[in-house]
Amino acid sequence: MVELFDNASQFLATLLAGIGAGILFYKSRKQAYFLLACFFGTYSLATLYWTLHVLLFNQTPQVFYVSELGWVASSMFLLTLEYTLSTPEERKFKHPAVWLVPIICVPQLLLYLCHGDILFNLLICGMTMAAAWYSVRGLLYARRQSGKLRDMQYFHIAVLCICALEFCLWTASCFWVSDTLTNPYFWFDFLLTAALFALLPATRKAVGA
Amino acid sequence: MTYIENIFVCIAAPLLVTALCMGKKHYPAFSFCFAGMAACLLSAYINTFFARLYSADIINATTQIAPVVEEIMKLLPLLFYLLIFEPKAEKIGAAVLIVAAGFATFENICYLTQNGAAQLSFLLIRGFGTGAMHIVCGALVGLGLAYVWQRGWLRIAGTAGLLCAAITFHATYNLLIAYGGTVQYVAYALPILTIAVGVGAGKLLKIKPYH
Repeated sequence: MVELFDNASQFLATLLAGIGAGILFYKSRKQAYFLLACFFGTYSLATLYWTLHVLLFNQTPQVFYVSELGWVASSMFLLTLEYTLSTPEERKFKHPAVWLVPIICVPQLLLYLCHGDILFNLLICGMTMAAAWYSVRGLLYARRQSGKLRDMQYFHIAVLCICALEFCLWTASCFWVSDTLTNPYFWFDFLLTAALFALLPATRKAVGA
Repeated sequence: MTYIENIFVCIAAPLLVTALCMGKKHYPAFSFCFAGMAACLLSAYINTFFARLYSADIINATTQIAPVVEEIMKLLPLLFYLLIFEPKAEKIGAAVLIVAAGFATFENICYLTQNGAAQLSFLLIRGFGTGAMHIVCGALVGLGLAYVWQRGWLRIAGTAGLLCAAITFHATYNLLIAYGGTVQYVAYALPILTIAVGVGAGKLLKIKPYH
């Protein structure tokens, strides 16, 4: 029941955010909003499929995780969005703190490889790590700017939160406690839903920067 | 056993003669239609292969294998068209939709040969539902491709992302159908409603899809 509520709320949040991004794209015709709408669209479709499968058949897919394709696609769109919003100066910016991303994420990736599918874990973790790398670099770069350019930091904070929560979620899923609220997995997932929704206003600020 | 390659020959033959009679101007439209039907034919074989490989039952094959195989097969002729002919954005949408319509038509014919044509009301609902689902997936990919193929570096990520979106939509539709009961009628209505909302929003907001 908790899982169903968790998935349904995430689907609704991403669907609403996707509609919001679509409206912003219609109004401004800016590519960043198109990518954001695609990110939310693919994410919500994948969550819908997963939710319906669990709801109707009381089990997760047995042969092939179609939802994973949607989540991989959404990560791809998020990475593309980060690249679109970054400036050439930001891409050249170097800081040792970005190495914290692989230091924290690679051991977790090794854990997932022991528990689950190798190809999917390499794909999704690789892309999430790349997104986290870009966001740490972007955040450090934006904090050194002044005026409107500094507003980019909100976007990078939102992306970093999403990446961090995704990793927490995957790690929690390796140590499944129960199907109730005592399981930290659900708390991470509720936080992820909030972070996903926060990406819409954060991107709006970043596009305006 | 259904000899779908024989069905393909029977349907393609009159269309081929018609294409030859109508002249070069109409060759692309007929080619996309043939490509859609051929994609459906090959999908049937590949679906069976993977279902055997993973020892999947009918539900798992329908909800997890078929959407992936079918959407990839539908995209292949379009990728060929995009890479070789480098068409303008306006032409991409039409090409995708004709491939999708060819695919859906051939799939419906194969369904009829396997399950009979006695129940007109059910076939009408299924025909519109499945047909509209393939058109929705085609429109999703077509409109998206028309946008991303104008932006060089976005092509690979955009195409892969759109393909995944189409697969997930298709899989959700198949999932609801596979469950049966009242839920399957929701599935049949879903693509038609999606088209209605899409067309309605497009007209209301005066969206130019290829800009």
